[in-house]
Amino acid sequence: MSLPSQGRRPWTFYVLSVMFTLFVLFLYGPMFIMFILSFQGPTGGLVFPMRGFSLTWFDALFGQARTGDVGGAFSRSLPLALMVMVLTVLISVTAGFAFRRRFVGSGFLFYTAVASLIVPGLVLSIGILVTARFLGIPARWWFTGLGAHLSWTLPFGLLIMFAILGRLSPSYEEAAYDMGATRWQTVRHVVIPIVFPGMIAVALFGFTLSYDEFPRSWLTVGSLNTLPIEIWTMTTNVTSPALYALGTVTSAISFVAIGLAIGSIAYIQHRRSKRT
Amino acid sequence: MDGQPSGSGEIRLVDVTKTFGDMDAVKSIDLVIPHGSYCCLVGPSGCGKTTILRMIAGHETPTSGEIHIGEQMVVGLKPVQRGTAMMFQSYALFPHLSVLDNVAFYLKMRDVAKDERRRRAREMLERVQLDHLALRMPAMLSGGQQQRVALARALITNPRVLLLDEPLSALDEFLRLRMRGELKSLQAELGITFVHVTHTQPEAIALADMVVVMDHGRIDQADTARHIFSRPATPYVARFMGGQNVLSGTVTDTSGGVLVITDASGPTYAASASGPMPGAGTAMSFVVRRDRIALTKGATAAPGERNAVNGRVIATEYQGTYVKVTLDVASREAFVANIADDIYFAEPLKVGDEVTARWATADVHILERADTGAAIDPYAEDAA
Repeated sequence: MSLPSQGRRPWTFYVLSVMFTLFVLFLYGPMFIMFILSFQGPTGGLVFPMRGFSLTWFDALFGQARTGDVGGAFSRSLPLALMVMVLTVLISVTAGFAFRRRFVGSGFLFYTAVASLIVPGLVLSIGILVTARFLGIPARWWFTGLGAHLSWTLPFGLLIMFAILGRLSPSYEEAAYDMGATRWQTVRHVVIPIVFPGMIAVALFGFTLSYDEFPRSWLTVGSLNTLPIEIWTMTTNVTSPALYALGTVTSAISFVAIGLAIGSIAYIQHRRSKRT
Repeated sequence: MDGQPSGSGEIRLVDVTKTFGDMDAVKSIDLVIPHGSYCCLVGPSGCGKTTILRMIAGHETPTSGEIHIGEQMVVGLKPVQRGTAMMFQSYALFPHLSVLDNVAFYLKMRDVAKDERRRRAREMLERVQLDHLALRMPAMLSGGQQQRVALARALITNPRVLLLDEPLSALDEFLRLRMRGELKSLQAELGITFVHVTHTQPEAIALADMVVVMDHGRIDQADTARHIFSRPATPYVARFMGGQNVLSGTVTDTSGGVLVITDASGPTYAASASGPMPGAGTAMSFVVRRDRIALTKGATAAPGERNAVNGRVIATEYQGTYVKVTLDVASREAFVANIADDIYFAEPLKVGDEVTARWATADVHILERADTGAAIDPYAEDAA
């Protein structure tokens, strides 16, 4: 379907185009400047001009203890993000199916889950720390940190699953039942394959929201920092382009994760529509 | 694995009621659908026809009552144990499986080896002339092709009853007529029972050995297509199936085997009575087919003349082989005469013309139930 053509473009088209261009520049400009500056020559500083191009600062990132414990922080952030991702998918998908039929307290449960989106992250962080102290549990990135991250990713995951399952016609499951499939066969051979692209979207949200989460991590990860906290600490004491190099590396990892997710969704849809 | 039921595809519903919340979708229905017949359940949306189909299929459980297929009481059994297969309204083809794998799904669920199930699925696809599209995905198929895949997927279960939920509603007019013909010949070829839900009367008449007309969770009439159309039992059936004028009055004379019915607004009608004669003063309704009406120009019906009504033309509609002339006859319902095109165009009418409609006593069919003044337009009802 195409919109009706009304001849020449109105002046508003050009005004909005300029506004949109500015918006995109504002959105991505700083990031690209950081990318460029991370390739600063060995004698270069935190600002332009570029004094040659080198990979010195990437080397410094992984080589010297002076720039902070980037390797250690990464070795915590990545498994944490992966754990959050797996748990978010598992819990959101099963909860999504549970919410397909009304049960007692389903409305209340839904609102309490979604309310954690509204609670400020730092407040939640303090709350979790205080509670953990009270219960005598030490704050650890893989325990209290994990819980804090889930409070952030689960509402997103649940909302995505609602949107996906809302479009899943019950007649698919009925058709499977009609052809003698058991409940489990229906889930395995019909429901999961159909909602799989949605599950990838949930996984992507779970991973990226956890990977760059700062406020909810701040007080809950304990003495060993995750990457966003490490970067934040570095901004106060590292004054070299190594900071930019770190930004470039972490952004690259995020883009790879997003690329993998979108790529696999596109691959599945391509296979569904074009297999001849 | 549960054994494949075989044998008779006769369906018997005994006092079946289905309640959703506090609403009765189906109210104590008794129905027998003979083995090997093509049965159409027809009625406006919300009349309970789909609920009956789904209860036969095993996708809904009756609140009370029994459903038998052949010798078996099937309430509580799974669809495969019942020997039924259902074709869903939007076909419900699995979007992630190829046409071949969709058709082979039933066999896969029963752990039939891959080569074996692919071979049998291909055979079934050949039967619906779709073997050349076996590896396509459902999204790549046209509506008619999707319907055939759905048919093949249902038939591979070797059912004794095939249940079709508005199978033609997603198709355009041309394809609908073609697939209608294919369904009919397929049923004749397989010899199994087909139960087909539709809200389109011509579809029901064209396909069915047995038409079941439903209204508000009850069966108004279950009969052959010919009887449903030409000898409706109730004013509702007559109006819903169309092609009839429904008239009412009270009996004023029963002498000589002729029933004389007088409308309070003037006209008198005559009908040859069959069965016991009703007493004078009984309210009666009857129908006259639209294509059995003769029109003459001018308000010429004499007072007391039987089966003659004066009216004014309010619309004419050309239909190819006939012209539909709608008259205002001072009753609450418009009166329609379908006049053959050659007769009409010999003396055409225009809106506002005074005419007289006449018909033969033999063409009057008395209804079992008098018009209660319920909704004249079945489609105008609260579609729940």
